[in-house]
Amino acid sequence: MSEVLRTRGLSKRFGGVVVADRVDLMLEGGRIVGLVGPNGAGKTSLFNLIAGTVAADSGSVLLNGAPIDDQPMHARARLGISRSWQHNRLFPSLSVLDNLVLAGRDPRDTSVTRERAMAQLEKVRMTQAAHRFPTELSYGKQKLISLARALMNEGNCLLLDEPMAGVEGPAYDSIQRVVRDEAAAGRAILVIEHNISFIKDLCDRAVFMFAGRIIRTGTIDEMVESAELTELYFGT
Amino acid sequence: MEFLGSMLIQIGIFTILATSFNLIIGYGGLMSIAHPIFFALGAYGSALATLTTGVPVPIGIMLGAGLATLASVAISLPSLRVSGDYLVIASVGFQLGVLQIIKNSEWTGGPGGLSNIPPLIDTTGPAAIWSYVAIVALAAIATILAVRRLVGGDLGRAITAMRDDEEAFSALGHDAMRLKILLFAFGSGLAGLAGGLYGHYFLFVTPEQFEVLYSAAMLTMVVVGGIRTVWGPALGAVLLQLLPSAINFLKLPSSVTGPLQGIIFTTLVLVFMFARPQGLLGRAPGAQVVAEEDDPLEVRVK
Repeated sequence: MSEVLRTRGLSKRFGGVVVADRVDLMLEGGRIVGLVGPNGAGKTSLFNLIAGTVAADSGSVLLNGAPIDDQPMHARARLGISRSWQHNRLFPSLSVLDNLVLAGRDPRDTSVTRERAMAQLEKVRMTQAAHRFPTELSYGKQKLISLARALMNEGNCLLLDEPMAGVEGPAYDSIQRVVRDEAAAGRAILVIEHNISFIKDLCDRAVFMFAGRIIRTGTIDEMVESAELTELYFGT
Repeated sequence: MEFLGSMLIQIGIFTILATSFNLIIGYGGLMSIAHPIFFALGAYGSALATLTTGVPVPIGIMLGAGLATLASVAISLPSLRVSGDYLVIASVGFQLGVLQIIKNSEWTGGPGGLSNIPPLIDTTGPAAIWSYVAIVALAAIATILAVRRLVGGDLGRAITAMRDDEEAFSALGHDAMRLKILLFAFGSGLAGLAGGLYGHYFLFVTPEQFEVLYSAAMLTMVVVGGIRTVWGPALGAVLLQLLPSAINFLKLPSSVTGPLQGIIFTTLVLVFMFARPQGLLGRAPGAQVVAEEDDPLEVRVK
């Protein structure tokens, strides 16, 4: 498997709060990595640093072997970093279909982009919601659409921030299937998730973060069995 | 008849101003109070170009609009690079600062302004004014149609998304700053065009015509007519230009009409902000549909 994304010594602090402390991480195409840790560990901050939402104090991000530290967020997205958000952040004034069309490589409302958007909605079984507005849909359905929107970017690096939050039942299986398919298609996928069974079912390996640092890398089973990590996660 | 023609010309000019202001603050969500100064740059730029270099008036109007566009890029480029909030601060400084320069410079005529500005067309005589009415009406309609085209297509979708959530918009690969600068420059350029049409009709310009308070008048037009509607600002411009004239017809003492106009304008804004924030032509925001349990689209939510 080829290396897609690498962070080297990525660090960021906001005043006295360290959200990333010399983070070294590597993602390979076709692999799904789970990013776990308690709230406030720095998981979403790491996404923000990789995607360029916030600038790092030091360290470097390489995408497909090339440094992208000088690139703003929109340029990183064009280079192939796609992300979903913890709270979906769909555009409430646009229909679901328009939310997806806007995320296409050609954001004009062409038949090609529209067909691609419908295909992504089909993957998450949400084609019937295409002409609805996000605010008309439940949080769980918005999660699915948020995932479909992230898939519109044809790049090879996918960052998913709690794709299972607020979702269960058939949607659980849909999301698992979609994420697996995307990995099989060659994408490198990093998933933040508190649903440990989801991570266990899906991920090749997991990375445990605490206080902005990567504490452990391994399988989720190893982490669950670790008394030290369990204590850090649950505080007990 | 001349009074009616003059009134229509002012309505047309304020339609351009309100429509372009709506593009910036309504569709773009960019907070700026500097619209009067871009209006002034168009008026002064065109007047100075025609007075000092003798260029034909239509070219002068284009130069004035170009000056307003360039100035808007000059202030939006550094302020929007940091954050959208800085545009408000930059626009306040720009409005007040440039107006002070105009008031205190010899080449702008100082507080007395510029007079003997060449007309775009000869409007002397009862019939000639209607030619100017037609020109301004065409410019106003062209402005409305241009804005409608801009906000209605693919670019409109991007503008809406950027206004909804700029960060999420950028994360999809879109350059939000470039889009904001484009919107601000286009809206400001239209204000400059209105300034040129204004100066070459009244044939004199003074700094008082471009005070910061005029942005409140433009905002009132946008709010009353309907923010983020294509035709709303035009309706607002018609109503808010006719209203002061209607008050004048009451033949009240001038000590009463001035404050009365202010009270009516303020009341209108407050009433619309609370009772009908979408304005006269805007649609009420749709009620959020709560998915029912048996909704086939429903996903079980924990």
